[in-house]
Amino acid sequence: MRLVIARRQDVPGWLKLVSPLYAIALTLLSGAAMFAALGVSPTTGLYTYFVSPLTDAWALQEVAVKATPLVLIAVGLSLCYLSDNWNIGAEGQLVIGAVFGAAVAVATHGAPNGPWVLPAMIVAGMVGGALFAMIPAILKTRFQANEILTSLMLVYVAELLLDWLVRGPWRDPHGFNFPQTVMFEPEAQMTRLMDVGRLNISAPLALLVVAVAAILLARTLKGFEIRVVGEAPRAARFAGWDPRTLTWTVFAISGALAGLAGVVEASGTLGQLQPNISPGYGFTAIIVAFLGRLNPIGCLAAAIFLAVTFIGGENAQIALRLPLDVTRVFQGMLLFYILACDAVIAFRFTIVRGDASGATA
Amino acid sequence: MSFNRRDLIKGAGVAAGAAALGTSAVAQAAPLQVGFIYVGPVGDFGWSTMHDIGRKRLEEVMGAQVKTTPVESVAANDMERVATQLARQGHRLIFTTSFSFFQATMRVAPTLPQTFFESATGTATAPNVSLYNARFYEGRYVQGVIAARKSKSKTIGYIASFPVPEVMHAINTVMRGAWSVDPSMKIRVVWVNAWFNPGREADAARALIDQGCDVICQHTDSPAPLQLANERGVFGFGQASDMTKFAPRAHLTSSVNNWGDYYVERARAVINGTWKPGDVWGGLGSGLFRLAPFTNMTPEEASEAQKIAEALGSGKLNPFDGPIVRADGTEVIGAGGRLTDDQIRSMNYFYRGVDVAVPG
Repeated sequence: MRLVIARRQDVPGWLKLVSPLYAIALTLLSGAAMFAALGVSPTTGLYTYFVSPLTDAWALQEVAVKATPLVLIAVGLSLCYLSDNWNIGAEGQLVIGAVFGAAVAVATHGAPNGPWVLPAMIVAGMVGGALFAMIPAILKTRFQANEILTSLMLVYVAELLLDWLVRGPWRDPHGFNFPQTVMFEPEAQMTRLMDVGRLNISAPLALLVVAVAAILLARTLKGFEIRVVGEAPRAARFAGWDPRTLTWTVFAISGALAGLAGVVEASGTLGQLQPNISPGYGFTAIIVAFLGRLNPIGCLAAAIFLAVTFIGGENAQIALRLPLDVTRVFQGMLLFYILACDAVIAFRFTIVRGDASGATA
Repeated sequence: MSFNRRDLIKGAGVAAGAAALGTSAVAQAAPLQVGFIYVGPVGDFGWSTMHDIGRKRLEEVMGAQVKTTPVESVAANDMERVATQLARQGHRLIFTTSFSFFQATMRVAPTLPQTFFESATGTATAPNVSLYNARFYEGRYVQGVIAARKSKSKTIGYIASFPVPEVMHAINTVMRGAWSVDPSMKIRVVWVNAWFNPGREADAARALIDQGCDVICQHTDSPAPLQLANERGVFGFGQASDMTKFAPRAHLTSSVNNWGDYYVERARAVINGTWKPGDVWGGLGSGLFRLAPFTNMTPEEASEAQKIAEALGSGKLNPFDGPIVRADGTEVIGAGGRLTDDQIRSMNYFYRGVDVAVPG
């Protein structure tokens, strides 16, 4: 008996788009079974994970706070991945963006400063992230260095730079030598939009980024170029498009967006720099990008979905006293089912009795 | 039916607490819910594990009076949400057990005035924020004394995590203790840039032993350095928990974190309505940590160490009495002086004679 895997020729486009929905449905079913096995009512468990983070205004704000950095980074990564540029180092670009943004906040700390500080931080962060992302881009176009490796390894460079800054030159002089910068001035923190809750201007900013990226991809020549270079590089060359310029462009855009996410975390969520400023958003965003089918609006949906599972996981620890491992299993199942659904949709699996030599199993 | 009687007794105690707090008796009828926010997984065998053991101790002592909720592996970015969620679910006492949570605690506390926060280390208190930490350096002084007695090469090896004041004053204090026995004692330090990384900790221990260190101190949480010391026939000290079983031939003593009694005290204070913000920094006398039973020591060595530990616990001996001179030769305080707590907490220099480079 043997397994034959063959690519299907007639897969409709819509089926690929809805495959994450199948994956989510399967995750919910398996999740229900897992809750039952753990002695928790499946309805309570699923409610806590997927509904409780959406039940009131405060909780919804938290979903937005958690989803914002993810969607910002994922949109940039989608542009990279669509054009066959594998930027895995968004986490490092996020850190450098936060460092550049914080440079403005630290330099203006204690000085009378105006409403220009936050916009300046945002611009500085985006420039910093873009510059840092240009390193693997140039290494790729100039030396054909594998951008997966270079962008990934630069994450460590970025994290160690941040570590050195908060323990050294930028250490809060009144912070008992703990590794952290001063708390940013109110002008250097993301303006909050509600009286109660942490929603700040970064969330509408992220929606704007999604809209611009969606239009760019669907309605502009640049968007067409990105897709053609990724799917048919030969055709792109015939059209006269320079893949090197495109590599620089998409790396710069995704670096800038990751840098913006860094400013959002430093100035909106933490209000200072610490040795760790991101719980791995740069890596989680890779999952978001693929879950969102490398489509900006899909990324938005995927980021919200992952944010809900993160917060639902916290709520499950608090309300149901389920360990964090259950959340990890949940997210692992989701990714597994997405890959599995994609595979089942794209390929035909047939079990053939007997092998080529004619012997039976 | 015992149900009614038990409820009556509980009700009486609760009413007293409620009266003291001036809140409604209805809100107090349930057990006090206590939240614990950990920076690492509960199974890290170090910092977060010891806080979780403290949480279990709280449940064991207080029984039905409390209900505890741990939330593990929380990033500083998520701290405010987790704390708010705990408070919204009725938790009135929340222990935020890492310095990385401190600023977030200070930000979220004013928005939850009905909730009491306890931050394990920090730089300020607030009307509903207390600080707590242990004077682990007292244990370091005892380690220095023991090391000076046990070392033949007269060189201590120190596996350091990060160059923060907590670690720097500990290194200084180990040497203070060692010099009290033998002024010729020396120290070598390897920075591993982690609080818990068994691989790197073991590498550091190997390097130190290869350089002639025969007593290993560790400011990291895994038993790996002690296990290596056991294998290589040198001595070592355990960290966070009693690590005797990991190194039966090498283990001298361990510094054992003991947060449980403090948690009980603070939970009682909330129930009794006597909770006040404080800044607790307790030493060997406070019970916030203790030394594991001395092993691999002669009765004389053990009794000397015991006497020193008692003198530190009672305050008769203070490792931060002057004169204290920095490595660069400048005097911090003269004879007869004593460092203040804030000076200890922000120490970013080594003493003269501690020949150690700070990374970065």
